[in-house]
Amino acid sequence: MRRLLSFLLLFVVPLFAHASDYHEQLVLRPLPLSTLLASFNFRSNISFSAFEAHNFRLFPRSLGQILQHANTHELHLRFSLGRWDAHSWGARPWDGAREGGTGVELWAWLEAETDEEANRKWRTLTNALSGLFCASLNFIDETRTTRPVMSFQPEGNHPNSTTENTHLLYGVLPHEVVCTENLTPFLKLLPCKGKVGIATLLDGHKLFDASWQSMAIDVRPRCPESGECVLEIEQTIDMVLDIDRSKRPRDNPIPRPPPGHELKCNTSKEYYSDNTCYPTDHATNQDFSLSQIFGKLMKGTCPLADPNVPPVCLEIPDSRNVYTTQGAQEKKNPDGKSRCFEIGPDTDFELVVPRAEKNEETPDVAVEEIVTPETPLLYAERSFTGHGQERGGVQTILRNPSPDTEVEFIYMETLPWFMRIYLHTIEARIEGDTGKSPSLIQETYYRPAVDRARGTQLELRMRIPPASTVFLTYDFEKSILRYTEYPPDANRGFDVAAAVITILNPDQNGTNFAVYNLRTTSLLCSLPTPDFSMPYNVIIFTSTAIALAFGGMFNILVRRFVAADEGPEMGLAARVKERIGAKFGWIAELVGKKGKGEEKTGEEKKG
Amino acid sequence: MPSPAISFAALLRGTRVRSYANRLPLFTRLVLVAIVVFWVLGLVPVLDLRNWGALVPDLVGITTLYRLNTFPFIHLNLFHAVMNILALIPLLERFEAEYGTLTSLALFFGPFATLPAFIYLFIEKFVLRANTSVMGASIWVFLLLGIEAIRTYKMNPYLVVGTHNIPTWTTPIALLLCVAALVPSSSFLGHLSGLAVGYFCGLGYLKYLAPPEKALRFVESKLNLLGRLPHYVSLDQKTYGRFGVLPTSGSPPPRSSGVALGMVGSSQRLGPSQNDWLHSMSSSGVLRIRRDPRLLKLPPYLSLLCIVVGVVWLFLLPLDDYSRRTYISENALLPGQVHTYFGGSDQNVFRAYKHETGGLVGKSNIEINDGLETIVKSIGLKTSRQNFTYQSAGRVYSGENLYAILQAPRGDATEAIVLVAAWENVKGEHNRNGIPLILTLARYFKRWSLWSKDIIFLVTPDSIAGPQAWVDAYHDAHDSSRVDSLPLKSGALQGAIALDYAQEGRFESVHIVYDGVNGQLPNLDLINSVNSIAGGQMGMGVSIQEMWHHNDQYPDRLRTMLRGMLKQGLGLASGPHSSFIPYHVDAVTLQPFGIGWQDEMAMGRVVEGTFRSLNNLLEHLHQSFFFYLLMQRERFVSIGTYLPSAMLVAANFTIMAIALWVKSGQPVQNAKKEPEQDGSDGNPSTPAVERDLFLPLGVVTLCQFLAVVPLYLFNHATESMLTPTFTIFAVLNTLLPFALSQYLTQYHAPTTQQYQLIKSFSLLLLGMFLSSLATLNFSLALIIGLLAAPLTFMRPFPTSPAARFLCASLLNAVSPTAALLIATAVWRGLDVSTILRGAAFAWDVCGMYTPVVVWCVWWPAWMAGSLVVLGRPEERKVKTL
Repeated sequence: MRRLLSFLLLFVVPLFAHASDYHEQLVLRPLPLSTLLASFNFRSNISFSAFEAHNFRLFPRSLGQILQHANTHELHLRFSLGRWDAHSWGARPWDGAREGGTGVELWAWLEAETDEEANRKWRTLTNALSGLFCASLNFIDETRTTRPVMSFQPEGNHPNSTTENTHLLYGVLPHEVVCTENLTPFLKLLPCKGKVGIATLLDGHKLFDASWQSMAIDVRPRCPESGECVLEIEQTIDMVLDIDRSKRPRDNPIPRPPPGHELKCNTSKEYYSDNTCYPTDHATNQDFSLSQIFGKLMKGTCPLADPNVPPVCLEIPDSRNVYTTQGAQEKKNPDGKSRCFEIGPDTDFELVVPRAEKNEETPDVAVEEIVTPETPLLYAERSFTGHGQERGGVQTILRNPSPDTEVEFIYMETLPWFMRIYLHTIEARIEGDTGKSPSLIQETYYRPAVDRARGTQLELRMRIPPASTVFLTYDFEKSILRYTEYPPDANRGFDVAAAVITILNPDQNGTNFAVYNLRTTSLLCSLPTPDFSMPYNVIIFTSTAIALAFGGMFNILVRRFVAADEGPEMGLAARVKERIGAKFGWIAELVGKKGKGEEKTGEEKKG
Repeated sequence: MPSPAISFAALLRGTRVRSYANRLPLFTRLVLVAIVVFWVLGLVPVLDLRNWGALVPDLVGITTLYRLNTFPFIHLNLFHAVMNILALIPLLERFEAEYGTLTSLALFFGPFATLPAFIYLFIEKFVLRANTSVMGASIWVFLLLGIEAIRTYKMNPYLVVGTHNIPTWTTPIALLLCVAALVPSSSFLGHLSGLAVGYFCGLGYLKYLAPPEKALRFVESKLNLLGRLPHYVSLDQKTYGRFGVLPTSGSPPPRSSGVALGMVGSSQRLGPSQNDWLHSMSSSGVLRIRRDPRLLKLPPYLSLLCIVVGVVWLFLLPLDDYSRRTYISENALLPGQVHTYFGGSDQNVFRAYKHETGGLVGKSNIEINDGLETIVKSIGLKTSRQNFTYQSAGRVYSGENLYAILQAPRGDATEAIVLVAAWENVKGEHNRNGIPLILTLARYFKRWSLWSKDIIFLVTPDSIAGPQAWVDAYHDAHDSSRVDSLPLKSGALQGAIALDYAQEGRFESVHIVYDGVNGQLPNLDLINSVNSIAGGQMGMGVSIQEMWHHNDQYPDRLRTMLRGMLKQGLGLASGPHSSFIPYHVDAVTLQPFGIGWQDEMAMGRVVEGTFRSLNNLLEHLHQSFFFYLLMQRERFVSIGTYLPSAMLVAANFTIMAIALWVKSGQPVQNAKKEPEQDGSDGNPSTPAVERDLFLPLGVVTLCQFLAVVPLYLFNHATESMLTPTFTIFAVLNTLLPFALSQYLTQYHAPTTQQYQLIKSFSLLLLGMFLSSLATLNFSLALIIGLLAAPLTFMRPFPTSPAARFLCASLLNAVSPTAALLIATAVWRGLDVSTILRGAAFAWDVCGMYTPVVVWCVWWPAWMAGSLVVLGRPEERKVKTL
């Protein structure tokens, strides 16, 4: 993947020199198990002066104004769906720098004097982006916002004067389902709006049928050594398509069983017959064409794009044949593993990659078919341990596949407040070792949650020795929410955002802070949920009634009733009289005025 | 306002009504008579009384001023008269009782009649300019109500309803509005004017209109009214006010006569009668019941009644009136609403996989898994394996699970559903079609992109231990020394379907097995979904509880229910799905049966449909019932309906225990013979007996502790030792009560009271355990409750050895060991060692708690009961406090 990046940089570097403002490129890379990675990259920039003067040309005005309003210097927005299967597909595209965890992820550097002001601007930003991208970004409130300390470094060049006042805020919405309504505004930001060029291939049906897809928007200032600083926006869409699935026609997407004679069978089995077939179709890579997998042809190139950047590249061994439409020029890369295509501005482009012919029965056919994916620097898998509604645990399995280099990385968790983690239970141990290895966790940054105010933020700097697997575990307690805090689908569980793993550059002097990023999958945490149904209410009422009745019953059972004449000397009558006197005394008063006179008369009489 | 206590008490007996009528004071009677007379006269058409006496505004002149006084006595019809009399009499009587007859006479013929009439006339004639005639005593009713309301207001200013304070003086207004709204042709204005005067009077502005005290007294004394007129309320009596007649300690009212005839003044109304009522209620009522010796004779019958009702209740459940049709509660499931496409060329694949798996039969677990893993990997799924080893009854159960995860194409590993197939089913048959079917389904499911949850395919070597190990490890509840952790995991499990398809050839129906470990059940929605998909969409038969034919009549329903209860009560795992249920993962096993025309693909489509339904779930299954008894595939009873049955059976023990406790605190018979039965004669020291608690508590505790012995023995003996152990234990079990009893009588010589207490404590524990258990495992609680029911009626037979040994042998017939032997006799093919081995296996692997209930709940109670039966209580002098 780094190769790809360097390859791209070949074109990016002259970009600055020519001050060309826009380029777009699609890189296709077949992956094992008949999948295809398609990476769309669109990049444009605007000089600071033009930006200040609201002279937006290729930079999307809608986004630019939001950034100005919220004093945002650098912005990263991710919409992701699915998971990257690192075991099969290898390292992530862009070294993981252009992807987020499931749902929506947003982090930005804002300029603000104080934390409160930063929060206010952050709120402005999220609300505005929410409207722009039709996503529930406005739900990124204080409880979902953190300020990472170690994990993120600005990608752009920020003048030193402003760094003191810039605040990094990070928010994530793991429950947000990314869909077409997010793609449309995304395409609208492009200069060619998806009408022409590689963006014509972006179709909601195909994109959201992908096994994994990630849409990214990165806005960052860039200051070349000479010349004016520019604000650069980079939009990226990566998706992994299942070739089988994508090739299904759109009007008939149901995977009906194919007719018996179309099944690809292993004829070497002794039981093979017309009605018995050991299938072999998943073992081989599929042939595909651009129009098959994207459902349409690519319509020319965007006239605004830098003509020096070839719009379509294919990473496939040189040995394989590829057919294109007339007018497209194929340029093979010297490394023998990729080729690019120059396309005329108005031609419809089609690319056909036929199945690799097996000319000889060579054992390493599989190697020849596709470029072998690079091994990622780290594998990470996170899952819940334990069961029940009271406590739980989180276990992350981190594996360093490299036989000789150790990996240093920052592991960041943003947990909702209702998962109260027990920090003392954090434990990292190397598989095989019995005790815990204290040297694994080198630095911990922990900001505890405050109920209903903010979530837990946990950042660990860890170092994993070569060829070893580390189990990072911790326990947590599930808190009970208030009745009204449950969402309508309370029994579904609560999504916990992906952990962000940032692998640090081994040589600290390097320009890049991180060499590789990856996210774990998100988790679904089930909290103790009250039964919101009618029977529950009935039970509550019945229990209350029984409790009340029990009080009375118990009273009658244990109290000794004593009748008035059985009681002590004072007598019930006197007590009742006293009590009634206290209760009804006013009546005596009411009648009293007359009565008093009478009493007096009575006395007189007596007297 | 009439006191509710009084009217209630009065209504209790006709005599009260009569006495009340007898005590009505003079003026009230006069008014009553006047109203009745006027009504009777009104029946004569010639007189046209209503026209003569009513208050008609236009007709009121100097000569017709009599109308101002007569209109309250004239009524429209009988109903009007009766209602007004009923409302007026209590109020008027009270008023008269307080102010005296003469004052009432003066007021009611003076201002109380004329003032409202004037107000009414003024408003009607000059303000409204209308001419509506009014009549009837209701104007007085409202007047008196107004007076009363003001008084109440002074004492009790606010009526608090929620957060609102409602002034109490408004209550007559509320009544006024009600009457105006509800009673046709009632005069709102007339009532209002009456009420206004009432308020004025209540506030004290009208008391100057009352005749002077002196004059009245003069008249009274001169005419000797008190002596001449019956029921006359004199001025002197009225000074008692309303409450001046309470009994003093000097003159206790005679309790026998409810009516205070001794007093002349009828103002005694509130005094003695109410007091008497209270008095009889407190002393003679409750205390008499409490001290009634018959009360202590009741509990055995009550207990028997509880048991009988509990059993009858159970047998009523299959009736249509008590059971319900099942229904889908979770709307997201939408069972049977999708087309299923599994079939066609998938059958070719299925045949190939069947050949492949058929070739693995007889090989070792590892080889089988190797073979299966190749197939699963070729489908493109990630696989992993898990080793497990369990030890139980001297046997080692070990194996290796193989599982594969189909990652939801667009999901993110937060939720998963499981498809399980064991290599061998519960009966030990090779799951011939089940294994290839889940492989084919895995391949088929892989093609769909619509899965929102991961699908886990699990193949286990056996049906109980393998799934248990896997589920335990999935939830990190496993013992890692015996069961490996899972290297590959997905999200929270939302449901599981197990396939048990050992049958060769085409089948007719699907059998749904749903019993979980310890009688836990999956959510009813899952069963209903499978039922609706298999039965409704696919047109297969569906059966439960091995009822291969079910005619939906009472006997079949009852049989299904009882089978289900027996399985639930035993709490054994009934299939691969059972292990999932304790982790709140709803699961069922599907078994094809019968000979029909459905093929393997049909079974696959049932699974496909069910998975599509589960895939729709947004929330974990929670809507429908978790506690139910199924009696047909579409009929069930829910916990609310069936629970009373077990609860009643459990309650019978508690009732008996409480009764025995009370009884043990009472002096023995000869002490009770003393004649002081009447508790109200001022002898407060009812004799209480000191309870000797040490021995009973000790015996019950000992029994409870002894229970550990069989529990340990049967769960730790090796298989070969199980039958001998059981035989020895059964013999010892028979002899132990005799030995213990002999020891007790020899060295401790317990008294009757101590035997009562032993029984009381043991039954108390039993009742408590069983009623708690009934909420967890209804069937087990009911079965144990019924088997232990004879214990309620056991008592020592000091004089009759024959009865003693009869009861002892009866108890031995329902002992836990005997029950086990009877079970082996009834179900042929079962022997003691199989049952005990199964129990030990379930205890060790699945955590089944039935042995705990049998040995630690039932057995100690049985032992204590046997001791009581065999007891020979010694008569000793009881200490009295």
